[in-house]
Amino acid sequence: MAFALRMNLVDAISDHSLKNTYINGKKSGYQFEVRLNYYRGHYLSDIEEFEVTVDGLKVKEQDIKFCINEKEFDVCQLGECYTEFWTVLEPATVRVYKKGGLSAGEHKIDFKVIFRSPYMPIGPDHQYMCYDGSGIKTLPVLD
Amino acid sequence: MAKFKVGCTLFSFTNEYVRGQLSLEDCIRTAAQVGAEGYEIVATQMIPSYPYVSDSFAGFIRECSAKYGIWPVCYAANMDRGMRRDRDLTEDEMLGMAINDLKSAHKLGCTTVRQQFLLSPNAMVRLAPYAEEYGIRVGIEIHNPETPFTPMIEAYREAYDKCNSPYIGFVPDFGIFATKPNKPYWDQALEAGVKESTLQMMAEMKYDEVPQKEAIERVLKIDPSPAAMSVLTQMYGFVQFKKDCRKELEGLKEIMPRCFEMHGKCHYIGEDLKEASIPYDEILPVVAESGYDGFIMTEFECAGDYSGIEMVKRHIAMERRIIKEKTL
Repeated sequence: MAFALRMNLVDAISDHSLKNTYINGKKSGYQFEVRLNYYRGHYLSDIEEFEVTVDGLKVKEQDIKFCINEKEFDVCQLGECYTEFWTVLEPATVRVYKKGGLSAGEHKIDFKVIFRSPYMPIGPDHQYMCYDGSGIKTLPVLD
Repeated sequence: MAKFKVGCTLFSFTNEYVRGQLSLEDCIRTAAQVGAEGYEIVATQMIPSYPYVSDSFAGFIRECSAKYGIWPVCYAANMDRGMRRDRDLTEDEMLGMAINDLKSAHKLGCTTVRQQFLLSPNAMVRLAPYAEEYGIRVGIEIHNPETPFTPMIEAYREAYDKCNSPYIGFVPDFGIFATKPNKPYWDQALEAGVKESTLQMMAEMKYDEVPQKEAIERVLKIDPSPAAMSVLTQMYGFVQFKKDCRKELEGLKEIMPRCFEMHGKCHYIGEDLKEASIPYDEILPVVAESGYDGFIMTEFECAGDYSGIEMVKRHIAMERRIIKEKTL
């Protein structure tokens, strides 16, 4: 990954947003909310890198859904989502499949997102200024 | 008598808006309270249904206009050529986006669209008949380090002259007239440990037009820190400055008939109502004498820990001070 700037406008990971999720009454995963740490919104296809690490363990891409605009996307789909716009005020939900969910108490979430600023070319051949909107936060799981 | 009107781009309130301290309605109300007679809206920032304008959003904007007495004069578009991961958009695709921007601007009641330079001169010529149909004038922003006579802008001027449509032109940003180093970036570099003497050396090199490569080599010998490199890059890039801006003001006079809006850039305005790096006392008389009757939209750049509200208020007060003092 090339050099990326940062704009510290908001926390990438929203407070009080970590919750367990359920399937058929059983804990089967968790979710948390993320904000786009930038001054304007972006198409999801501007996302260059996307990773979730919880309590030091990197989550497999197949277990992650990125939820915005009442839709759920796989990480491998993001690059093609050039009609799906993530506005700057709207939190997105990151939903992770994990059998048994998270144990009660605090968990360290490391959310990595790098995106292109698609109107700021820095060279030929599809080179654009990148921004790092990542965040790390330890949050209590709410239920 | 100066005919231009003063307004502000709501971008100036970015910090407050994104952090949830001001809603869009608060931004509009605040703009009116600090003296704006109209405003610009950055589409990718504040339109919830971007890239489209929903009926409810258009209705909300109309309600705000009725309540606060100011309206969205300009729709600021972003030309996201790099929005696809696999390749750049083609000219046809960018033209399509620009036509959509016109449609959205029209629905909001805007009379001007600010476009960005990735929309080529040829695409602007192709856009002209659509702009005419909507009755909206589209201007390419001229942002520092471009000026009215850099090759990129010359290419637009040439294409516009051939096309001769009154609907395509420019939106100059007053950052192009900067004659002093940018204060917020200077202060940030000081805070990050760059010595004042090093910053002064950088500024002298820029004034003396020392080539950037040579300037980097000289600075590396005394302070190779990322903070020092960063502020030097800024001085030679988006916040560059020159000893004086007479030549740039002459260029502005030449393109004035094609200017549809101006960005009244500000980085820091002191209590004395003076911009720290941009000589408004020299710029506003040129704008007034040209007979320009459009808007100068205050654009606080949101760098440094300053209140966007206070900066816009001071910027508009500064414009009024100059109009009065110089009897424009």
